[in-house]
Amino acid sequence: MYRYDTLDREILADRSAEFREQVGRRLAGDLTEDQFKPLRLMNGLYLQLHAYMLRVAIPYGSLNSTQLRKLAWLSKTYDKGYGHFTTRQNLQLHWIKLADTPDILDHLASVDMHAIQTSGNCIRNVTADPYAGATAEEIDDPRIWAEAMRQWSTLHPEFSFLPRKFKIAITAAPKDRTAAKVHDIGLAVKRARDGAMGFEVMVGGGMGRTPYVGSTIREFLPANRLFSYLEAILRVYNRHGRRDNIYKARIKILVAALGAEEFARQVEAEWDKVGTDADLPDLEIARIRGAFAGGAFETLPPRSEAFEAAKASQLAFARFVRNNVKPHKKPGYAIVEISLKGIGETPGDATAEQMDVVADLAERFGQDDIRVTHEQNLVLPHIRLDDLPAVHAALAAVGLGTPNIGLVSDIIACPGLDYCALANARAISVAQHIAERFADADRAENVGELKVKISGCINACGHHHVGHIGILGVDKKGEEYYQLTLGGSGAEDAAVGQALGPALPYERVAEAVDTLVEVYLRERKDGERFLDTFRRTGVAPFKEAVYADVH
Amino acid sequence: MPTYIKRADGKLAVAEDAFTAVADDQDIAPGDVIVSLTRFEAEGDRLLAEGRQVGVRVESSEDVEALAYDLPRIAVVALAFPKFRDGRAYTSAALLRERYGYKGEVRAVGDVLREQAGFMVRTGFDAFEPADGATVEDLERAIHRYRHVYQRSADRRAPAFAEREV
Amino acid sequence: MKALTANRLVDGEVVFWDGGRWVERFADAKLYDDAAEAEAAEAHGKNQPKAVVDAYLIDLVESEGLWAPLSYRERIRALGPTNLNHGKQTEGGAAIAALKHAHGAARSTGRVDLIRRK
Repeated sequence: MYRYDTLDREILADRSAEFREQVGRRLAGDLTEDQFKPLRLMNGLYLQLHAYMLRVAIPYGSLNSTQLRKLAWLSKTYDKGYGHFTTRQNLQLHWIKLADTPDILDHLASVDMHAIQTSGNCIRNVTADPYAGATAEEIDDPRIWAEAMRQWSTLHPEFSFLPRKFKIAITAAPKDRTAAKVHDIGLAVKRARDGAMGFEVMVGGGMGRTPYVGSTIREFLPANRLFSYLEAILRVYNRHGRRDNIYKARIKILVAALGAEEFARQVEAEWDKVGTDADLPDLEIARIRGAFAGGAFETLPPRSEAFEAAKASQLAFARFVRNNVKPHKKPGYAIVEISLKGIGETPGDATAEQMDVVADLAERFGQDDIRVTHEQNLVLPHIRLDDLPAVHAALAAVGLGTPNIGLVSDIIACPGLDYCALANARAISVAQHIAERFADADRAENVGELKVKISGCINACGHHHVGHIGILGVDKKGEEYYQLTLGGSGAEDAAVGQALGPALPYERVAEAVDTLVEVYLRERKDGERFLDTFRRTGVAPFKEAVYADVH
Repeated sequence: MPTYIKRADGKLAVAEDAFTAVADDQDIAPGDVIVSLTRFEAEGDRLLAEGRQVGVRVESSEDVEALAYDLPRIAVVALAFPKFRDGRAYTSAALLRERYGYKGEVRAVGDVLREQAGFMVRTGFDAFEPADGATVEDLERAIHRYRHVYQRSADRRAPAFAEREV
Repeated sequence: MKALTANRLVDGEVVFWDGGRWVERFADAKLYDDAAEAEAAEAHGKNQPKAVVDAYLIDLVESEGLWAPLSYRERIRALGPTNLNHGKQTEGGAAIAALKHAHGAARSTGRVDLIRRK
């Protein structure tokens, strides 16, 4: 993975020193809260319900074991011994003291980590495929481009005070694991007929109050023109995005108001003027590419006897393999997804002990490489088939062996009203109740792929709009109610979900999901996922079943 | 009167402001003046013909392109930050310097805070009217906070990737 | 009935005003049944920017003979998160039990536009 050099490290050190000074001025009363808030947010520090929350950036969801161990240590030392992995591939620590944050940032910097631009109206952490460098599907390693974008966007002098936050995703595989079409910019690596590499550029996707699937504004952008084109998009947005209404300030609203064609025309006009000066030299891309090269893969036979034997003799291991283990580009290797969705646990949470175990496994068996998925799970991208039984056993021993990736209990949930100052309703406990209903692993596997996504408010951190089943918490006269949507998808077949009907009270949500699943099992035809069945039948049979007993 | 801090030859200093900012509903003051874009469009030629120096205040919602043909005659472009969170003036400054090669003064006015001084210098501002009481020393520290920068901007400072090539 | 709450600046801890200082337990909060007195306390709270962030009044409701915050949001602030038992609720005791059992009559705090508070 990318190794920081002296320059990268000095930038982090300078940032940390700056924040230490700002915290000092705030505690001394030289800065008011109104003045300080945007400064702390630029360092990912929120004030939530119970304490400060620090959102640590995990650029493109990529970590090494030293970094994960440091996160574990920070969570033990400065928090309550756990952290929360988010849908933006970041880590949130929920019980942080303001006075500790300068030290925490120093500790993060000591392992080449930071919290820069994890909040604020700037370019946020770039989302990338968690299988990057491991999947055979990809055209190029998207981390190269994501790292280049990380550097370009860090403390960008022109684009740090945009109308609203700005999120970029990049994928290089046909199967989209980044939700690229619901990002402000989604980049899909493509090859032209002549073999040249480039990007399909999608703009204006997003969730929140007004969800949109992004529009393609350029089918093929030559790879070496990426940064001038990004500059053109950001410049058009910075100048013309709305600033009078926080709910209409995202680029999706500008793109929708102008129409994708007119927006594209303005971007192209600006791009012509920007010229190639703004592009990154090929040499720098080559340097970054070099940093990601490596991956000392052994030449292995495609079949591992140890692996086959364990699969045949251990039901639990076989189930884990069916659901959590994915094909690797190299024979004899596999990608292992670690579910942070243990039944009854908090989606996305990992204890310090669990983080340490994952770090140890990555170091011992996994080329020191760990990924975070936007679905709030972890990935060990390079595990030898021979080692899989040992990895599984070690994971299972600390409660990380749940074999439910992509299944109904692999639920995305934001922290919701249990932690978040913005939330209207709880999300975690709703996820727990649903997961408990599908605790029977056979039943969950029979249901198959089903993405349930829960947000505690309309900001949609839990991606409910693109859940096969989406659940949105609302405040109805102080009571927690939940609106259900069906048929959303954040993948390559992106779609915004359709409302099921009137909001349901807290107690009825898990039962309603159960009913929806029963309707699907009744209606499904061969090989159909929940999403496919819904797309064929429409909302009617689902609606009828859920509201049947409502008079 | 706000403090006026000017950056010349890479150094900041408190300076005497030769210009009077004239609001649209005020009479034109004697001497050098800064007027709104609207007023400049109506009265600019006359003001310049009087032999004085003229500056133009551009609001964040206004396009600097409107000044393109007049820039050689304009001594100061004052770019307004109605709130520090309004980042449009950074683009305006960058366009003035990079696209139009403007050599006159680009002044930050309005909600100008020391925390943003580094971004301002990078996008081409060279004069400041701080709203937070920041001193020359405060601004100098903010401007020199980072030993390296990652991207090109109007200040032509060598970005990290260029430093790496050396 | 109302109480005054805030988050402590230095560590973000949920605190309540006891009439003379900020305290961590809701059970120790001063309860105001006089609106003018409550507003005066709030004004005083807002005037302590070096001690707390964002002081505001919350509405209370009677529950099992004790007072509890009216809204779920404020109950969660007074108790800790419901998914893990590691907030203020770990202390236990009658006051915590009353908060946990408080039900019905939950209403919004009247604080609209929460998104702006970020």
